[in-house]
Amino acid sequence: MAEARGTILVVEDEPEIRRFLRSSLGAEGYKVVESPAGQRGALDAGMHKPDLVIVDLGLPDLDGVEVIRRIREWSPIPILVVSARTQERSKIEALDAGADDYVTKPFGVGELLARVRVALRHIRRTGIGEDLFLGESRINFEKRIATRAGQEVHLTPIEFRLLGCLARHLGLVVTHRQLLREVWGPSHVEHTHYLRIYMKQLREKLEADPVRPQHLVTETGVGYRLVADEEKYQGSDKL
Amino acid sequence: MSWPGYRWVGYGGAAALTAAATLVGLAMRPHFELVNIAMVYLLAAVAVALRFTRGPTIGASALSVVAFDYFFVPPSGTFSVDDPQYLLTFAMMLGVGLVISQLATVVRAQAQAQARLALEAETERIRNALLSSISHDLRTPLAVICGASSSLTERGERLGADERRALAQDIFAQARDMSELVAKVLEMTRLESGAIALRRDWAALNEIAGSVLRRLEERLAGHMVMIDLPEQLPLVRIDSVLVEQVLGNLLENAAKHTPPRTLIRLRAQTGAQVITVSVEDFGPGLPEDELEHVFGKFERGGGWVSGRGGMGLGLAICRAIVRLHGGAIWAERLPGGGMAFRFTLPLEPAPEMPAGDCALVNG
Repeated sequence: MAEARGTILVVEDEPEIRRFLRSSLGAEGYKVVESPAGQRGALDAGMHKPDLVIVDLGLPDLDGVEVIRRIREWSPIPILVVSARTQERSKIEALDAGADDYVTKPFGVGELLARVRVALRHIRRTGIGEDLFLGESRINFEKRIATRAGQEVHLTPIEFRLLGCLARHLGLVVTHRQLLREVWGPSHVEHTHYLRIYMKQLREKLEADPVRPQHLVTETGVGYRLVADEEKYQGSDKL
Repeated sequence: MSWPGYRWVGYGGAAALTAAATLVGLAMRPHFELVNIAMVYLLAAVAVALRFTRGPTIGASALSVVAFDYFFVPPSGTFSVDDPQYLLTFAMMLGVGLVISQLATVVRAQAQAQARLALEAETERIRNALLSSISHDLRTPLAVICGASSSLTERGERLGADERRALAQDIFAQARDMSELVAKVLEMTRLESGAIALRRDWAALNEIAGSVLRRLEERLAGHMVMIDLPEQLPLVRIDSVLVEQVLGNLLENAAKHTPPRTLIRLRAQTGAQVITVSVEDFGPGLPEDELEHVFGKFERGGGWVSGRGGMGLGLAICRAIVRLHGGAIWAERLPGGGMAFRFTLPLEPAPEMPAGDCALVNG
């Protein structure tokens, strides 16, 4: 097999889940390091310097959220959370603590690999200088220009900020709290209705069908995710 | 039966019935022997025993003896007794009254026990229905998973690549259905036990609709789903995760119970106090007499034989969630055939909006 595409640390106590993660991630060319418990996992993250960490939230010895906090004290490596459906609250806690995305158990390998790819690509991306392509809409943050089907679309300063915040986490989920703090400031983190109004405006301006958005995606109860047309995003560089 | 005045109602009843017996006795007096009049008093005591508790019954018996003595036993109009035989009559009246009151108490206790048993039997019946329903809906996928995975492990090398892939796909699909079923059962249990606290926050229904359509894209692919939401729907303060489930269950239900390519329409209407959300389908619909039952825990609607798991839990979950929000949910037949499932969510005064930026927004 060719050189590994990157090292992934899996912090998971269930051996069967570790096994299928190991085999499917291994088959994709990733090197997999396994930690069966939270304490170990936090240490292994320091020792093995992985490119990405997958943390199960239901660990027996240490809360998964705590593992994320410990890693975030010294490292910005992408962290993917695996949560059960009943762990809604801790999932959001984990994301607010610095996790980059999540998959809900039970999940298919396809979904997991897609999340891994997005999280890894995210860290490699240099910045916000390139154009963002959302279907027939195109946004350049440096020049503050947005167009749709060639026609200029007027975005307000807050709409630009909101879109920019989502674009910095392109493909990843951003929680309501994170968005409200970054766009409106720390005193507004409870004002979810701001987001509802502004997301509606953004969708009406940028989405082909605002009711069935393809790019400004709702993660109900959690936050929002910006999904771009990836190929175009990497390819072109002029407006 | 436990309010404080109830006892006095009992004693009042005892006094009234004894008085009535006295009146009847006075009317009978010219034509009947005194023993027969004593029987009328006993009848009054029985009536008190049937209707009231032990105290009033004993009271009625004692009062009967006194009244019988005063009004009827010679010399009447006094409490004195000429013939000592009547002392035995008094004792018998009192004794019979006590025995009757005792019997009535026992009968009443038995009736209560019976009712409790009936309730327990009903609970048991529901539990059995749940168990048999779950085990039926779990057994098929489990059988597929066991069979397919053991073929793969024991006979894998003799199978062609296509066969192996098909078996693995079956395992995946069945496991996913099972997982959904288990999630629904857990959800219902949590909702029923009151373990779910609503996490209310301002939410936009069109956003929730978009999210649910994305999540159910595959399952709704065979149908035409039309979104007919007004442009300016007010925000609602709801638990979006739960309300998304309501919408999802209703849409899935509509898709499951109508032929492919049937039109399914999602609508919303704003009233003064509530928003009414409707999922309408233009399929065969349900008979009128089943509309009320479909929200029961294990109903599947006679004509709506479910192809896959779900056990009719979906609608029961919807009802529990809508009620938690203080709304109502119901099913209606549409005039041209087809069904409408509608639910309401209460409206609250709109939240305050940030100032400044809005001025820049066109329109």
